[in-house]
Amino acid sequence: MSSVLELPTPKLEEWRWADMQALRAAADTVPRDSGIKPADLFLDVEGPRLLFVDGVFEPAHSRPGPVKVARFAPETAHPLGSMAEGEGWVLSLDPQVAMTGIQIVHLGSGGESHVPARIMLAEDAVATITETYAGSGWANRITQMHLARGARLMRAVRLVQADGFVSIRDEAQVGEAASLVSIFLGAGGMGTRIDGALTLTGKGAFAEMGGALLTSGTQKQEAAVAVRHEAIEGSSRQLWRAVAANRSAASLAARVEVARHAQQTDGEQSLRGLLLDRGATVNLKPELEIFADDVKCAHGATVGELDKRALFYLQSRGVPESRAKALLTHAFVAEALSRIGEEAVRAAFEADAERWLEAAL
Amino acid sequence: MLTITDLRAEIDGKEILKGLSLTVNAGEVHAIMGPNGAGKSTLGYVLGGRPNYEATGGSVTFGGEDLLDMDAHARAAAGLFLGFQYPVEIPGISNVQFLREALNSQRRARGEAPLSGGEFLKLARAQADALGMDQEMLKRPVNVGFSGGEKKRNEMVQMGILGPRLAILDETDSGLDIDALKAVGDGINRIMRAPDKAVILITHYQRLLDYVQPDFVHVLEAGRITRTGGPELALQLEREGYGVAA
Repeated sequence: MSSVLELPTPKLEEWRWADMQALRAAADTVPRDSGIKPADLFLDVEGPRLLFVDGVFEPAHSRPGPVKVARFAPETAHPLGSMAEGEGWVLSLDPQVAMTGIQIVHLGSGGESHVPARIMLAEDAVATITETYAGSGWANRITQMHLARGARLMRAVRLVQADGFVSIRDEAQVGEAASLVSIFLGAGGMGTRIDGALTLTGKGAFAEMGGALLTSGTQKQEAAVAVRHEAIEGSSRQLWRAVAANRSAASLAARVEVARHAQQTDGEQSLRGLLLDRGATVNLKPELEIFADDVKCAHGATVGELDKRALFYLQSRGVPESRAKALLTHAFVAEALSRIGEEAVRAAFEADAERWLEAAL
Repeated sequence: MLTITDLRAEIDGKEILKGLSLTVNAGEVHAIMGPNGAGKSTLGYVLGGRPNYEATGGSVTFGGEDLLDMDAHARAAAGLFLGFQYPVEIPGISNVQFLREALNSQRRARGEAPLSGGEFLKLARAQADALGMDQEMLKRPVNVGFSGGEKKRNEMVQMGILGPRLAILDETDSGLDIDALKAVGDGINRIMRAPDKAVILITHYQRLLDYVQPDFVHVLEAGRITRTGGPELALQLEREGYGVAA
């Protein structure tokens, strides 16, 4: 199957930084034992748990609760997302129901795996979900979300595969006064493509998609997110941090579209990159397309190195250089992870980032 | 404690210090005064080990060790504290986190056991109280949004927590109102006025010396010390200027 993959090419503007060669190579890898115990991948958080191994639901390590496992084919025009049909998971919450601490773990041993997901929150329903990607191979995922009026969804996604590739497609409809927050951390050795299309369909809707991509060696990670405001008084936030070491590349493309009638939109884009080595690359591409005339859209994009004055300040107080670099880099990344609501989850993500920094610096 | 002999130093190829010699013994407070561009801050940075401030000649020993041969963090662990004229703002790192990391790094380097979170907090709170700094500021990011006076108080709190043997304070009085100046002066006396400690105060003006009485006053001009006297020399400089007093 992988030999006939029809993948997007860098000739397409939206895929210009995408590392499809790494994806293809990951899809072609021969499965091998990862040596990872699935139980070690779940955080110490109470709630439903689902384990997918090579894209197949593993009931022995799962307790799905209200999360259903089902086979389906999501409707999407996205070139990678459209491949993610088959066995997946569905969370559907009734009005005012709260379900927190849901964990979905994807463990790969090589080759390719496809898992679709659907999240449907009725009015004022609340859910928090943590997703973890570990192992190797090509993990291809699509998550389609629908948030009704007043619903709230908090997702935290950690990509810690040792190698291979993770491609994630998020498609969301955010209704009136509903809130969607998705925070990603790329802190493994894999290639990454995080692709988002969020649409704010109701008055006063809020959507946030952001996180941190940490790359080293010759690794490439990227995120490409488009947020579309279709209703009045909506607000959105895209706060991404990229840290690139050695000869790696981290790329961020963030787009905000404001429809003609979506007045009083408040959009924020903050894309910042940190180069740990001169041979590393950070690509940033903020985009605004605004047709309404009463909007506030702030965007900033900066790439730089560690602040040498701050580095010396820390050293002058006794902190060794490598530790000072780690502290400053961690502070740079922490801002993007601070939006994760559950303290235990946020701490786990920060620990992942810390481990990455210790290895990279 | 500190012996500087014929020190020469340059920044980006330009020689700033041109044969500076100075001896500081334990229990002494030395004030270094001089006009702008004389090399006062450069001296502080060279002693602190700032990159690009390159010593090209002479020698510096601190407690009998070759200071110039040590990395910046090792100089701090050996007991040298550099107070900055413009303390750096570091978003994302709290004062508490920064100071605990710094103190425990120093303790590890000296072969001492690191302090626990509780022990450290007790120490930090005591020092903040003694300097009149709001406890809440310990939780805030390092120097971010602090006023000039708050930054200098924070430097003193750091000095109190780290407990150095030698403090080199670079224009600690700049940007301070009278109350903050008195608080900083009291802090220097309380923390550093001890038989086994010493201070080098780099300053433009007499006013900090009203609160911290120096034992020696040196005039630094064109990269070397040209005159040395007692506290009365600072008053004379204040009255008559550097050119007239020469």
